[in-house]
Amino acid sequence: MKRAGFTTRWLPILLLLPQLVIIAVFFYWPAAHAVQSSFYLEDPFGFGSSFVGFDNYTHLAQSSEYARIAKFTLLFTILVTFFSLALALVLAVKADNVIRGAKTYRTLLMWVYAVAPPVAGFIGLLMLNQTWGPLAELAKSVGWDFKLGVNFADTAAAMVLVSVWKQVPVNFIFFLSGLQSIPKSVREAALIDAKSSFRRFWDVTFPLLAPTGFFLLVINITYALFDTFGVVDVLVKGEPGNNPMTLVYKVYVDGFRGNDIGGSSAQSVILMVLVLALTIFQFRLIERRIHYT
Amino acid sequence: MTETTHIPVAKRRLKWGRVLDHSILILGAQFMLVPLLMVLQTTTTTDLETIRNGPEFIIGDQLDDNFRAAMFTASGFSGENTGLRMLANSMILGIGFALGKIVIGMMAAYALVYFRLRFATFAFWLIFTTLLLPLEVRILPSYEIAQRLGLLNTYTGLILPLIASATATFFFRQFFRSVPEELVEAARIDGAGPVKFFIDILVPLSQTMIAAMFIIMFVFGWNQYLWPTMVTTDEGMYTLVRGIKQLTQDLEGTSIPEYGRANMLALIAILPPVLVVIIFQSWFVKGLTESDK
Amino acid sequence: MKNIAISSAAVLSMLASTAFAETEITWWHGMGGALGETVNEIAEGFNASQDDYTITPVFKGTYEETLTAGIAAFRAGEQPNIMQVFDAGAATVIAAEGATIPVQDLLEANGVGFDIEDYISGVRYFYADVDGKMIGMPFNSSSPVMYYNMQALEAAGVTPPATWEEFETVTAPALKDAGYVALSQSHLPWIFVENFMSRNDLPFATNNNGYDGAEGTEILVNVDPLKAHFTAVTEWQDAGYFEWFGTGWNDNQTPFENGEVAIWLGSSGSFGGLSQLDLDFDFSTTYLPYWEAVTTEPKQTFIGGAALFAMSGQPDEENAATAAFFEYLTSPEVQYMWHRETGYVPVTEEAYELAKADGHYDRFPAAETGILQLSLDASENTRGYRMGFYVQIRDVMNREFGRILTGETSVDDAFDIIEADANGLLTRFAQTQN
Repeated sequence: MKRAGFTTRWLPILLLLPQLVIIAVFFYWPAAHAVQSSFYLEDPFGFGSSFVGFDNYTHLAQSSEYARIAKFTLLFTILVTFFSLALALVLAVKADNVIRGAKTYRTLLMWVYAVAPPVAGFIGLLMLNQTWGPLAELAKSVGWDFKLGVNFADTAAAMVLVSVWKQVPVNFIFFLSGLQSIPKSVREAALIDAKSSFRRFWDVTFPLLAPTGFFLLVINITYALFDTFGVVDVLVKGEPGNNPMTLVYKVYVDGFRGNDIGGSSAQSVILMVLVLALTIFQFRLIERRIHYT
Repeated sequence: MTETTHIPVAKRRLKWGRVLDHSILILGAQFMLVPLLMVLQTTTTTDLETIRNGPEFIIGDQLDDNFRAAMFTASGFSGENTGLRMLANSMILGIGFALGKIVIGMMAAYALVYFRLRFATFAFWLIFTTLLLPLEVRILPSYEIAQRLGLLNTYTGLILPLIASATATFFFRQFFRSVPEELVEAARIDGAGPVKFFIDILVPLSQTMIAAMFIIMFVFGWNQYLWPTMVTTDEGMYTLVRGIKQLTQDLEGTSIPEYGRANMLALIAILPPVLVVIIFQSWFVKGLTESDK
Repeated sequence: MKNIAISSAAVLSMLASTAFAETEITWWHGMGGALGETVNEIAEGFNASQDDYTITPVFKGTYEETLTAGIAAFRAGEQPNIMQVFDAGAATVIAAEGATIPVQDLLEANGVGFDIEDYISGVRYFYADVDGKMIGMPFNSSSPVMYYNMQALEAAGVTPPATWEEFETVTAPALKDAGYVALSQSHLPWIFVENFMSRNDLPFATNNNGYDGAEGTEILVNVDPLKAHFTAVTEWQDAGYFEWFGTGWNDNQTPFENGEVAIWLGSSGSFGGLSQLDLDFDFSTTYLPYWEAVTTEPKQTFIGGAALFAMSGQPDEENAATAAFFEYLTSPEVQYMWHRETGYVPVTEEAYELAKADGHYDRFPAAETGILQLSLDASENTRGYRMGFYVQIRDVMNREFGRILTGETSVDDAFDIIEADANGLLTRFAQTQN
């Protein structure tokens, strides 16, 4: 690091202290605690517990249900990421094209960013109500007998839809700002070189947007894995039943609904490892991004 | 951008393209907005009307009644969980979280960037590892620790564990590193100490960044769901977003679900963060798109 | 207005408490909506009935959330005096000896008489230990009953079916011809498994339905009568006699209210809510059907709903307050009020007699079904069940039943998985008890 202006000794330590204390208490301690709990089976009330070694892990590894949920989480993540990115990209390119009403469009397309995921889920419940939900009716009118909470695929579709609705704005903002940072000279040159607007987009704009896209990819994967908790929780109405669920929701269901502390902790640890891998990937990506710009 | 004038051949086709652009944007805007309008519609009609028919094309006269019910009627014995109280709690969470994050993050970032510290690299990694693991995966042990520290149903317990991640620190570190090095030199020649430099020069310089961070963090804090759901069990401590869970349960469990009141509360939960994002749009977009660099 | 009245009364009682130094106790419950208001009324009544104690009920969310909040609070040493625990959570809380004071001990220690024979037979042993000592005070006790649309049955020219055989061959086809979906239900594990076992006099788990201890308890659901029942249900579904609207309670109840479904299996505690609705038809209730092929002597059902547990670790004067509250709660007048307002059954014989004497059942014959069904013949299979991690076992059942009814799996495969998963959970629970 090139910078290091001051040499005072106690001040930086004092400045760092609040951050370090909070992290120690609310990050490292719980993380260590989760690892420890994952090796025990514990009575919910705390009266008894037995050390079970890796039992909680082998139990998960052998559980076909856990594998199903992992598979669903993967599919869900792919769908949410793809549709949020694709829709946002189309909208951003169009919003970048138009002059009239550009600001209004921008506002209309980004406000949903501020809607909390469970509230988005709540709106989804209204739109997809079994008896009169407008979207469910729409589906029925085209021959899709949409039943939220009954058919696995329908509930999954609802989860994807609501999650995408909630995520398009973030991607839109990033894509639009990426597009607007493309120098005018490059655009004009492209206009002369490439006849069709599609070619222009594909040959010039898309490569320039790629770094933003890569960055957003990681953001979206993290979103689909973790931040959709509220969407899932509201859409299943508190009854897991035969509904699809994500891995994070399963941690909650087993730990908080079922009071299985050991099993739930083991799942937490598995997720930690997963996120760790994802973040190493992300750090390398950010490095590359800095390289690009 | 007047690029079209140079290519007369393409004029006609481009016009059609413009129409297409606008149609797609309008469609996108509707995708975002229509669900919200439907929620708004159901707050103007009676609950029985909504139970029978769902959202419709009529504007009823119940808006005022529903607003009063949402804001001032409590459903519990304590009489504490009115919409007003939840609104206040959400405000406290949003503002407290944003302020805490910014203050602690700025202090830590300042220490990391401007001081020669022997354990700087270690502290850096200690802090930035927290970016790896979202609260969701260590939720159960975090809860146990909050409980052990007696923080359940307190504002401290609501806010502090959420601050235990380094997003703001990371953001300010990047920003401080982009501040010209000459400033520190000049300050030192003027005889300004590190505290004076921080307060008189660095903080004013960071105003826009602070504003941007505040908006993002306010929205993030306001929209928290899982943590408030666990850590607050006293009705008087509920936030609006946490209250959504209660709402869906009320809709499930009662004979005449109070759609008007529930949907009004959902709108009240949406409005403040959305307004903040819309009003301070340019700061917000700047903060969001620059936070990743 | 009601809320204002309630909160001003709460303020008054708070003022009163500072003036006379009353002992204050808290009661965590999971009764939302209209039920919650009735809970508040009971608390108001208790606070107004004497000057020594004040109780504050707190709504903690769903039954599951109430249990989790109570457990967490107990671990933090901040438990309420009274916690409501639902049927599926009973094993968890009763297994944790020392977390609660058995209601029988609490009442006897505080000079309130207790005789288990005062309670109606169906509620006596569900929340009791293996020796028959009552641990939790049955509070909102319900039983699954059959609600039927009287006009629909009349139009189809049938009477409510007593057996599933009758339903299958007579009732359902006639209702279908009359343009109705014959049947829906709101809680598959509760109605079609737990109470199916009791009603058809079948054992539900080894170790005396689990009462003898967690060690070695195994679930007995992978059996022919139960599988035959679910096979029949899928056939009814294919024939248009039965429809399933998901795991949500209301999603299955709404079509009955709308008049699309003629017979709905729900909780006797739903009676109060249904009566308040301005339905387009008259409805009545009767017993849960049974399979004549399985038994010719159908038995009583389990109580569902929830019980109140006195949490340990509280000062003596607060325990005295809890005992006083239980005494108030089980008084015939309060039980009758609760029964009348909500449809939950009165838990004591005396309260039941009061309801009869008051002519409640002359006015609403349907309100008596739950208690009559709980008072039918008993057997060793009807006292209840005691299985740990049962909340998760129910989740497993709900999941597999949902898959059966959406055609994703077969009845045989589903029950194999339920048996394996449930026994896995039971083994794990037994390990937590060491």
